Amino acid sequence: MTEALELKSRLKDKGVFLAGGTDLVVGVAKGRLSVEHWIDLSGVPGLSYVREEGEELAIGPLATHAMLERSAFAPALAQAARTVGGPAIRNRGTIAGNLGTASPAGDVSVALLALDARIALVGSHGSRSVPIRDFFVGPGKTRIAHDELIQEVRIRRSADSAFLKLGKRQSVAIALVSAAVVRQRDGRVAIALGSVGPTPLRAARAEAHLALAGLAPEAIGEAASLVRAEVTPIDDHRASAEYRRAVSGVLVRRLLEQLAASSKPESPARA
Amino acid sequence: MSDIRVSEAAPTSGAPVGRSATRSDARDKVTGKTAYGGDRAVSQECLHAHVLRAAHPHAIVRRIETGPALADPDVVAVFTGKDVPGTNLHGMIRRDQELLATSRVRYCGDAVALVVARTRQAAERASKLVVVDYEPLPGVFTIAEALAPDAAAIHPEGNILGRQRIRKGDALAAMAEADVVVETEFSTQSVDHAFLDTEAGVAYLEGEVLTIEAAGQWVHEEARLLALALGLPFERVRIIQPPTGGAFGGREDLGIQLYLGLAALLTGQRVELAYSRAESMIARHKRHPIHIRYRFGARRDGTLVAAVVEVQADEGAYASTGKAVLRKAASHATGPYRVPNVHVDVTGVFTNNNPTGAMRGFGASQIAIAYEGAMDKLAAALGMDRVELRRRNLLLPGDAVTTSQILPVVSAQECMSAALERIGWEGRSYETPAPHLKRGYGLSVVCFGLGYGDGFPDASRARVRFTDGDRLEVYTGAVEVGQGLVQMAAQVAAQAVGVTIDRVDVILADTARTPEAGSSSATRQTFFTGSAVRKAGVELRHQLLDIVGTLLPVHPDELDLADDACFERADPTRRVPLSAILQEGRRRGYPLEAEAIFEPRTICQDDAGQSVRAFVTYLFASHAAEVLVDVETGEVQVQRIVAVHDLGKAINPLAAEGQIEGGVVQGIGMALMEEVVRQRGRLLNPNFTDYIVPTAMDVPEIIPVILENPDPIGPFGARGVGEPPLIGTPPAILGAIHDAIGVQIGQTPATAERVWRALQQAPGR
Ligand SMILES: Cc1cc2nc3c(=O)[nH]c(=O)nc-3n(C[C@H](O)[C@H](O)[C@H](O)COP(=O)(O)OP(=O)(O)OC[C@H]3O[C@@H](n4cnc5c(N)ncnc54)[C@H](O)[C@@H]3O)c2cc1C
Repeated sequence: MTEALELKSRLKDKGVFLAGGTDLVVGVAKGRLSVEHWIDLSGVPGLSYVREEGEELAIGPLATHAMLERSAFAPALAQAARTVGGPAIRNRGTIAGNLGTASPAGDVSVALLALDARIALVGSHGSRSVPIRDFFVGPGKTRIAHDELIQEVRIRRSADSAFLKLGKRQSVAIALVSAAVVRQRDGRVAIALGSVGPTPLRAARAEAHLALAGLAPEAIGEAASLVRAEVTPIDDHRASAEYRRAVSGVLVRRLLEQLAASSKPESPARA
Repeated sequence: MSDIRVSEAAPTSGAPVGRSATRSDARDKVTGKTAYGGDRAVSQECLHAHVLRAAHPHAIVRRIETGPALADPDVVAVFTGKDVPGTNLHGMIRRDQELLATSRVRYCGDAVALVVARTRQAAERASKLVVVDYEPLPGVFTIAEALAPDAAAIHPEGNILGRQRIRKGDALAAMAEADVVVETEFSTQSVDHAFLDTEAGVAYLEGEVLTIEAAGQWVHEEARLLALALGLPFERVRIIQPPTGGAFGGREDLGIQLYLGLAALLTGQRVELAYSRAESMIARHKRHPIHIRYRFGARRDGTLVAAVVEVQADEGAYASTGKAVLRKAASHATGPYRVPNVHVDVTGVFTNNNPTGAMRGFGASQIAIAYEGAMDKLAAALGMDRVELRRRNLLLPGDAVTTSQILPVVSAQECMSAALERIGWEGRSYETPAPHLKRGYGLSVVCFGLGYGDGFPDASRARVRFTDGDRLEVYTGAVEVGQGLVQMAAQVAAQAVGVTIDRVDVILADTARTPEAGSSSATRQTFFTGSAVRKAGVELRHQLLDIVGTLLPVHPDELDLADDACFERADPTRRVPLSAILQEGRRRGYPLEAEAIFEPRTICQDDAGQSVRAFVTYLFASHAAEVLVDVETGEVQVQRIVAVHDLGKAINPLAAEGQIEGGVVQGIGMALMEEVVRQRGRLLNPNFTDYIVPTAMDVPEIIPVILENPDPIGPFGARGVGEPPLIGTPPAILGAIHDAIGVQIGQTPATAERVWRALQQAPGR
């Protein structure tokens, strides 16, 4: 690890961390990227784990989607990981790579955003922890400094969570829209969406509405229409903005209905 | 056929024909051993070529400067159209495309220069240094733009490639008198063949002979066209087909062979060339996007009285096989239905898009979407059951298709009944797991004329011979592109001669070693090459029986040959093994080889689109589909597809089922997701990230059903299977969506967004 960080601070922008390579290698092959020096993290021991530590889940940067898929800690995370690419991609692609790519369509990133993940970064000057809400800056841009790498990702236990994605086919599909919802143990509900803005985004107004109104059917309907208004999708050759907006509302409504149904047996979700 | 003599063994159980034997090429393909064109290219030291493609979809080429590229020390040569020794022209039907453009480019895939270098990287790098001085011209990218009075002319004669029509009875008058008239419109998309291995191969000189190893679909015709383009006599060109990962019509037009050939001819050295997926998609022709306006007129009882069909097709920049596609769309315009009055107008229009040409279905696939969509609409308008309406109008034995040809086998009704039964149509349930999901069922019945048809010369020749090691060799110029031809030929030969399948070796597609067999396209090779192999095999069988006649005091009629032995029918224990027969034959000077040609005739459609024999034979098929539609997102999930095909005889049932399943999957792609997207002639999705083909997860349960009403001409009653499995699939799926949501989707692919939009716009919402 020290060696990797040393290399990086020496090479600066000329050195690129390589995890599973499913974004990087494709980018190089297509001529979108040119890489002078690879810093292959696969040789660094102890970076590939998914570990429950009391009320938290600690995830190593090289944990693959296949590993995340098998974790029952947060259903939204496992469900998101399950929709990434196909089996080969899930066996190679990693959580840090998904965050590092900072695609607005990063499925695992969307789930982590709803789960309020904290991202531990380590650099030559020490470590720091960045809340995921501050992590994404724009398409392909994050708060990782040029001499830093993602050391760990942590999420807290939640009451329930779920993820849905609409793609152009059933697997190996880039999200046209994806969404994750989380019910915290204090009853607050978080909503994140992918492919409807320059980065994965949180639906703050819808969340605020639910904080007051709970998960009653009318509240869910209202939250879905707030989501439609707050997303900022674009038209491209994959789908129109209008359609993405509409589907955002549909996915969020379905997810919230799922949360409401699973929280039924208990009394109102307010803490 | 009358010219096949007596004593041919009809296939019985356990016989070579009808057996689901494992394909001889399966193991190597599955284990990755097979060396495809691109694998061969890297096996030896050679030069590397790269094609520079047009920077504009429509432009005049003023000047090409190769100097800067030649300055690269790794570059061996840079060729332009001026360097091409022959006509520099190619095209399957009309030679209208330059190998390297000298004065004009008409789409983004046009080639302007060919760089040959010591490494692939250098060839690619140097191609960017070639300076082409273009004068961009206004382009036309839609049919409407191409037909506008002030449209830029893409070819000297204008923007219309051709028209095809059918005038049968008086359709306009009959339509006016019909009790009920329905009209529907469909637009189909640009579809890519998306085969596994992109174009790749090698070329070299063997003495005077220019030899090219690259995959096509018809090696002999490719050699002829290449000889013309490069100015060589035919005998100085040799084409060898390497193992091939699919073709689907996409390898019918020449392309890579020309560049390989030119580079090897002019440098005198071994050269390799391989297209990237992007280049493959940008350069290659596509399936015709067409717009169809379809009207059916019927009596109140559902009997069809007239069809009026207008079709406009985007031909793209060059003719390719477009005219034949248009003719096929016209001749199949009413599918398997009996319609006394038919009026069809098909127009093909040049644009600055990819040329359009052959792809599995060949015009018949697009038109099937329209006639089945119109049937569903008619049923709704009449308040009649969809099945009942079809039953009333499907062809019966003795009926003629739209072109007036009377068919010996008409199994449309039988196919439909089988499809309905297998999907459980009567007891079908519309229950769904959630209110936003709607279930629907669709049905299609299609017919398809196989072979080139329309009087086009269509023949296959095959040779069979015994080697000194007692192996049976089959020589055919036909190409194996994954469809299973190699196994078909082996099983037919084994059956015809009377040997075991394992004894047969099939030698394919090499213009220097194998006889002309026509193309692997048009669902024709089982019928054509299967027949040629069978004829040659029967000839050889008679040699064997004659030899046995010299050994046993028995009349040949009382003898039979099977499983590597000749035996008496009355007493099969009295037998002579094959090795003894061959030994005796050699001693007596028998050739122990035979060659045969199969060349059934067809007659071109007249001005009214009529011909008593436009195609050698027709296949019938029926598909039933079950889908779930999410009415909030528009997403469609296919749940089940039943695909019933009357193959006449399945030479290898397992392989035939595989072809049916593959065709269904490709049909799902066309129905729901595949679409080449262009913006003013430039492809926006020349890659498999954005050109979406079905994955294993998108493939539902497919139930293939094979019917075997024997064909009177085909080998052992076989017709073929190639294209119909695709053709029947999109109309069944679209019909199922219509059934589920009550709205007909008029544009393919029926993506989630299109279905959603159609629901938003539907009346009553
Ligand atoms: C066919 C295909 C299908 C795909 N489908 C999906 C999909 O459905 N959903 C989806 O979200 N993604 C998909 N992807 C994208 C990709 O697989 C994921 O984003 C994956 O998580 C990337 O992980 P990786 O380990 O391969 O990253 P890499 O390619 O190795 O790296 C990606 C980026 O992250 C940086 N990086 C890696 N590790 C660190 C670290 N520890 N610290 C700092 N920076 C780091 C790299 O420098 C690089 O910039 C697909 C890709 C392919 C090729």
